[in-house]
Amino acid sequence: MIRVLGLGNVLMSDDGFGPFVVRVLEATYDQPAGVEFIDVGTPGLDLTPYLLDTDAVIFVDTVTSGGRPGELRIYDRADILRHAPQTRTSGHDPALKEALLTVDAVGGGPKRVTLIGVIPDWIATGVVLSPQVEAAVGRAVMAVVQALENLGVSLVRRDHPGVPDVWWARSESLIPDR
Amino acid sequence: MSRITIDPVTRIEGHLRIDAEVDGGVVRKAWSSGQMFRGIERILQGRDPREAWLFTQRFCGVCTTVHAIASVRAVENALQLEVPLNAQYIRNIIVAAHAMHDHIVHFYHLSALDWVDVVSALKADPVKSSQLAESLSTWPGNSRMKLAAVKDRLKGFVDGGQLGIFQNGYWGHPAMKLSPEVNLLAVSHYLEALEYQRKVNQIVAILGGKTPNIQNLAVGGVANAINLDNQATLNMEKLYQVKDILDEVQDFIRQVYFVDVCAVGAMYADWLGYGKGVTNYLSVPDLPLDTKGTQFDFPGGVIMNGDLSHVQEIKTFNEPFFRENVTESIARAWYDGNWTKHPFDEDTEPKYTKFEDNGKYSWVKAPRFKGNPMQVGPLAQVLSGYALGHKPTVFWANKTLETAGSIAKTTLTPAVLHSTLGRHAARMIRTQVITDLAQKHWNLLVNNIAKGDTTIFNEPVFPKGEQRGFGFHEAPRGTLSHWVVIRDGKIANYQAVVPSTWNAGPRDEKDQPGPYEASLVGNPVADAQRPLELIRTVHSFDPCLACAIHTVDIEGTQIAKVKAL
Repeated sequence: MIRVLGLGNVLMSDDGFGPFVVRVLEATYDQPAGVEFIDVGTPGLDLTPYLLDTDAVIFVDTVTSGGRPGELRIYDRADILRHAPQTRTSGHDPALKEALLTVDAVGGGPKRVTLIGVIPDWIATGVVLSPQVEAAVGRAVMAVVQALENLGVSLVRRDHPGVPDVWWARSESLIPDR
Repeated sequence: MSRITIDPVTRIEGHLRIDAEVDGGVVRKAWSSGQMFRGIERILQGRDPREAWLFTQRFCGVCTTVHAIASVRAVENALQLEVPLNAQYIRNIIVAAHAMHDHIVHFYHLSALDWVDVVSALKADPVKSSQLAESLSTWPGNSRMKLAAVKDRLKGFVDGGQLGIFQNGYWGHPAMKLSPEVNLLAVSHYLEALEYQRKVNQIVAILGGKTPNIQNLAVGGVANAINLDNQATLNMEKLYQVKDILDEVQDFIRQVYFVDVCAVGAMYADWLGYGKGVTNYLSVPDLPLDTKGTQFDFPGGVIMNGDLSHVQEIKTFNEPFFRENVTESIARAWYDGNWTKHPFDEDTEPKYTKFEDNGKYSWVKAPRFKGNPMQVGPLAQVLSGYALGHKPTVFWANKTLETAGSIAKTTLTPAVLHSTLGRHAARMIRTQVITDLAQKHWNLLVNNIAKGDTTIFNEPVFPKGEQRGFGFHEAPRGTLSHWVVIRDGKIANYQAVVPSTWNAGPRDEKDQPGPYEASLVGNPVADAQRPLELIRTVHSFDPCLACAIHTVDIEGTQIAKVKAL
């Protein structure tokens, strides 16, 4: 199993980048057998179930790193784990490193890990991406396609791509009146 | 005297910061500070109340389901809309499965390493470990072979220079007291628990359609069409999948989680004397048994000053005693003004100033009940259930106290539950009770469907004008309430008063400390550079403040600072 996991909070503007990219992937490509695209939100250590019994995982997330908003950074497993996670007060802080290390402890975690990260512009209450980060969505989608190619999986573009289901960014009611 | 600041704040993320003044190896005063402005509720203004739950589910990535449940209940309350029995049962099974998952994760993966020294487990004799375990439980995972394999695995990590997830614990800390054999058992259960928390979460996926964000809710019911013979709907096959998982996870919860908490409680009996803090307790009833929300399977109520002889029970989804008495104070929080208001009337404007010990110091508001700070969480619910004579709670609480007492060779009374380890014990007791109730509600659902009832939804209708509603839910971290004002079918105001706000909130206009702050006072601190004891007490509440955003910190950052005063 290969999973593409979009991480982030869709109510915190640029932090919703990961879920946004997953919605574009869902609308544009067929999910091949053995590959899942999932908007996982901000699960903290509850990320572990999505990492067990996987061969490879591709994360899409925001990252703190030097550079301009909207720039992409691509990391591998060793990059993510270079600095040890710290003791935390809250058990539910962002827990990418902890989740990876926890599944390592039992075995069965992904051997190959790619993190496609965008440098955010603003992270504050809001449902839309900043212009620089929104402009990075297409590049991130292509980076996912490339990462899957590297794993030997070719995505097939749909004949008629749908509209990405970015429901949180819409202003009208989501529920049609009967 | 010294001041310890535990502050995992990085450049973008917001977290819980704890400050403690320590004198003579004991905490004298403490401050709890939320380091991130939330205010996510503002996104809901002007929206369709029927979709609010989709958004509230995204408030927090760990507590997704609970915010969805509280939201549909709030809108249903505003409309006085009844919910069909099938929908109540389906929601209740999801609520129970989520709680089982959340409590297992909290004990094993988020807090066990505060008590378990992983490095010490390398010195264990697996034969002795196994003998010890077999004296307490019949769990097949405690065999000598299995424990020897876990020890080898751990040794492999250490020999390879990679402790992985275990690299950052307070190993060798003087406050670590378990024998190598017990530590080995605990490490083994830590690893096994990962599988069981995943299993029970599959129930949420089967009934909720997806995880971590469920898709089956609706204001007025659920969207799970029921047809026992149809593959596309909720059918017998899916119901039996749910039942099989419940049975399997129940074994783990009975045979492993129960025993581990009793053993840790007995072996760290001094921690039944630390961390009491605020002994006013608030919990609400949950697992409704009727369409109106007037009968529940898990009671809740208010206890003041730890007095278990008086509980004011909260009885219905319309309870005025709850609706009228909740307020929030911003006297010590970074908002403009100095008011105390009811959630329906709040209009928060953020106004950040610096951290001032005697002024404002947190983004978290201070919720109060009739003006009092209240502790919420499994301990509040278990104490209410115990005091009200709720049979399953009384049974599991007594069994826990007897078992831990017999391991410690002493007699334990319910009074020991007002403590750091008491919160862990109560969470485990609650898990036992809710596991039994999950089975019961599975049977209620199946029997109701067998009678021919397949109703799952009552259509909400929004009249012109204003309606106000509140919805509460006894979530894994305690009492959660959502408050909604609807005007002409649109949301005019929305507030969520969340469990960690009750517990982690700051002082108020009367300078009354919140539960975290009060519970830290009197805690011992053996080594200020490694404040394990403070972490133990804070973790016992199962804090969840910081999950609103998720930016990967690719560079490591140091969190505990100590300053001599």
